[in-house]
Amino acid sequence: MKTLKRILAVLVLTAFAAAQKPAAKPAAATPASGPIAIVGGKLLTISHGTIENGVLVIDGGKISAVGKAGEVKVPKGALVIDARGMTVYPGLIDSENHLGLTEVSADKMTNDLIEMSDEIMPHMHVADAFHAESSLIPVTRYNGITNAVVAPDDKDTLPGQDAFIQLAGKNANEMLLIRDLALPMDFTGEQRRNESFEKAKYPQTREGMAAQLRQTFISAQEYQQKWEDYRKTEAAGDKKKEAPKRDLKLEALVPYLQGKKPVVIAAQESNDVETAVRLANEFHLKVILNRVSHSQEILDEIASWKLPVIVGPIYDEPKDDERYDAVYSLPAQLARRGVKIAFASYDSHNARNLPYAAGYAVAFGLPYDEAMKALTLNPAEIWGVADQLGSLDAGKVANVVVADGDPLDVKTDVKHVFIAGQAVPMVTKQTILRDEYSR
Amino acid sequence: MRTISRLRLGIGLACFAVAAIPLHAQNAAAAPAKDVLVKNGTLLTVTHGKIENGDICLHAGKIAGYGHDVRCAADATVIDATGKFVTPGLVDSHSHIALDDDVNEATSPVTPHMMMIDAFNYDDKAIYRILAGGVTTSLLLHGSANMIGGQAVVIKHKFGLGRDAMLFPNAPQSIKFASGENPKRVYGSRGELPSTRMGNFEVQRAALQEARDYMRDWDDYNAKAKSGDKDAKPPKRDLKLDALADVLRGKLLVQIHIYRADEFLTEMSIANEFGYKIRAFHHALEAYKVPAEIASYGAAIATFSDWWGYKYEAYDAIPWNAVLSMRKGVRVAIKSDSSDFARRLNQEAAKTIRYGGATEDEALRMITLDPAWIIGVDDRIGSIDVGKDGDIVIWNSPPLSSYALADKVLIDGEVFFDRSLPGFGLTRYKSPTAAEVQQ
Repeated sequence: MKTLKRILAVLVLTAFAAAQKPAAKPAAATPASGPIAIVGGKLLTISHGTIENGVLVIDGGKISAVGKAGEVKVPKGALVIDARGMTVYPGLIDSENHLGLTEVSADKMTNDLIEMSDEIMPHMHVADAFHAESSLIPVTRYNGITNAVVAPDDKDTLPGQDAFIQLAGKNANEMLLIRDLALPMDFTGEQRRNESFEKAKYPQTREGMAAQLRQTFISAQEYQQKWEDYRKTEAAGDKKKEAPKRDLKLEALVPYLQGKKPVVIAAQESNDVETAVRLANEFHLKVILNRVSHSQEILDEIASWKLPVIVGPIYDEPKDDERYDAVYSLPAQLARRGVKIAFASYDSHNARNLPYAAGYAVAFGLPYDEAMKALTLNPAEIWGVADQLGSLDAGKVANVVVADGDPLDVKTDVKHVFIAGQAVPMVTKQTILRDEYSR
Repeated sequence: MRTISRLRLGIGLACFAVAAIPLHAQNAAAAPAKDVLVKNGTLLTVTHGKIENGDICLHAGKIAGYGHDVRCAADATVIDATGKFVTPGLVDSHSHIALDDDVNEATSPVTPHMMMIDAFNYDDKAIYRILAGGVTTSLLLHGSANMIGGQAVVIKHKFGLGRDAMLFPNAPQSIKFASGENPKRVYGSRGELPSTRMGNFEVQRAALQEARDYMRDWDDYNAKAKSGDKDAKPPKRDLKLDALADVLRGKLLVQIHIYRADEFLTEMSIANEFGYKIRAFHHALEAYKVPAEIASYGAAIATFSDWWGYKYEAYDAIPWNAVLSMRKGVRVAIKSDSSDFARRLNQEAAKTIRYGGATEDEALRMITLDPAWIIGVDDRIGSIDVGKDGDIVIWNSPPLSSYALADKVLIDGEVFFDRSLPGFGLTRYKSPTAAEVQQ
C-alpha cells in the first residue's frame, strides 16, 4: 500500500503540473489570492431563484458578489471563467457518508468504520480516524460534492460522533470543519447482538437496545449532576471535596443530553421510528430524523413532529407488500407535508452519485427546487452552517460548482469545483488511470 | 447466427443429459391473440437510430412492423405513445435475483453441474421491481465463489405467471466461471485450495484436464462398443465431468467473473489451451488496460458503470472503462449484478455518456443488444426489428437520464407492467387492492 501511495502521490503531482500548463484550463492555474469571476452561466442561487446569464465573483475565499451580467462588476484583474451554457450552483452537501473511514471495503486494515466491541460508543470520534488523503475524497468532489457529514457505520446504537468536513484542504485539520457535530443513534434492529439463543449477547432485542440506551442516558445525567454539584461546591470555596472520576463515555453524552447538539436518529420501520423518537423525547434530545425508509404509514405523524429528515437511501428496496416506487417517492411525500429534507448517500465509494438520487426523487414527484435545496441549503440549515454554506449569496464561503448541464442528471459533466474559493484540480486516482491508458 | 443455432441444438441435448431438465418452457403463456399497435412515439431502435412519430405493430408476440405507415390488425389494441419514448426491453446480463440465498454452492471450487433453474424462485418480487424499471430479460448466474460455478437460467420478467412461462424459450445455456479474490478468499479461509491466484488457475486447469480424460475414456469406450467389443465397459457417468465436457465441446457460453488485467490474459490463454471460447468477461473493471487483447479475442465485457473500491481488485476501476473499451472494439454491456441497480439500468448506461462521451445509441445498446449477444439471444431480442420478440418499454421521457420512468413494459406483445394501474401496476399478478398497497 505504501509504495502504491507513493506512486500515486507522484502521479498526482505530475498530473497537477501537466494540468497547470495549458491556458485552456484556467481553474487549475488560479492563483490562491486573486479574485475569480464566473461569467455567463445559469446561476442556481437556491436562496433567491435562478439567474440566467449571471455573474458570480469569488474573492478571498468567499463569494463577494452574485447577480445578473451587467449588474455585477467583474473586478479588475479577476480570472474570468466562461460559464456560458453552464449551470453554476453551490457545492453539494452529503448529509451522511463514510469518506475518510474506508479505502478498500473488503480490506479490513483500510477500514475504520465502526467499533463493534460495545454498542454504546459515544466517545468514538470520527475526527480521530478521518483519513484526509483518501483517494475517495477527490473522486467524490469531482462530482460537485464539497461538504459532508462523515458518520461511523450504523452497527452500534451509539457508534460515535459525526464530523462535518470540507472535501479539500491540505490536511485533516483543514478539512474537519466541525469535529463532534452530532451523535448518531441507530435504531433499525441491525444493532441487536446475535439473534440466536446460543450466541446471544445483550442487547439481543429491540427492548434490550431501548433499555440499554435509557440506562446509559440516565447514567450520563447522573454523571453530569455529580460534576455540577462538585463545581458548585468548588465555586463556593470548598476545596476539600474530591473531584468525580472522569468517564469519557458518559462525558461524551453530556452536550447531547443538554440539547446543545443534535442526535441523529436512524430508524426505518414505523414502529422503530416511533420508539426511538419516544425515547429521545424522554430525555429532551434535539433530534434529526434519518432514513425512515419504511415508515409510509406514519408520514403525517412524522410531519407533525416538525423534525428535519435525512432521506433515503431512496434506493432501499421496498418491502414485498409495497409498490415498486414506495421508497423512491418518500422524499416527495415528506416534502409535500412540509418536512425539511436533506439527501444522504450513506456511501463512500459511490457518494459521488448523491445528486442522482435527488434527480430520481424528482422523477417520483419531488419539485426540482426542493431537490436542489435538499442537497444545499436544507442540509446547511440542519447542520447549523447556513451562515457559511448552502447557497450562492455574497458573504458565504465560495463552495461553487460549474457543470455543463443539470446537476441532477447522470449525463452532466462537472467542469469546475471551487472549495473555499480555491479551484480544485479536476484530477483523481481515476482520471490519472484514464489518461494513462487512453494514450 | 449459425453458431448460435448449433449451440442451441447442442444445449438441449446437454441439458437432458446433465440434469434431465427440459429448459424449454413447456407451458409458456400463449402469444396474445390480439395485435398491439404502439402509436406515434419516438422509437429508439438501437439498430437503426431514432424514428420520430413512429409506430410499432406487435403481432403474435413479435414485432411485425415499425416506423411510419405500419400495418396492423384493424382491431389491434392501441397504445398511444405520443410524447413518449419507446425502446426495446432492457437486458441484464448479470443478475442473481430470484435465487433466494442459493447463489453459491461454495463447497467445492468446481461445480459446473449446478443448475440455477433448480433454485429459481419465480415468486421473488425483485422480478417485479426490475420489470418496473424496464428490464424484460435477465441472465441469472451462479455466484463467484467457485472457479467453475453452475449453469445459468435466462428469464423474461413476466411477473405473475408461473415458472415455466418465465423461462426464455430455447435460450443457449451459459456457465459461470470466476477468478481472483472470491474463490481464493472462500477456500483460502478454510485452509483449502485455492488460496492464491496460482491455486485458482491450477484448480481450473486440473478440472478441464480431468474432463478431457473423461471424454477420451468415453470416446475409447464408444469406439470399442461400435466395433462390437462386448467386453468394453462404459466409464462411470459423472455429472460434473459431463458438464465440463460440454464446456470443451463449446456447447456452453462461458461467462467469467474477472477483475484484473493479467487475469484476462491468463483466462484467454487457458481457453485457447483447452479449446473452448469465452463468451464474456463479467465485472471486467480493468478491461480498459487490455482492450485490444479482448477485442481481438472476440469476447464481450459486462461491466458496472462506476462501481469501484469494494475490494482490492476493484481499486483501479474507472467509470471510463466501458467507453474506453468500446472505442478499442470491445462489445460492452452495462449490467447490474444487483437487485437494486437492475431497477434503473437506463441511468447506469446513461453514465457512459458523461464518462467518455458515448452516444445515446451506444449507451442504449449497452443495455439491450450487447447484453442480448452475451446471453446468445441477440437474434431474438435487444432491438426494434421485424421478427424480434415484442419486448418493448414505453418511457415517459428520454430514457437515458435521471428522470425517465417506464410507463408500460410489454413482453412478447403483452403488457406486464403499467405504471398507471393501481396497486403494483401489474397486469398478470393478483395484487392487493390499491388501498392495501403502500403507494
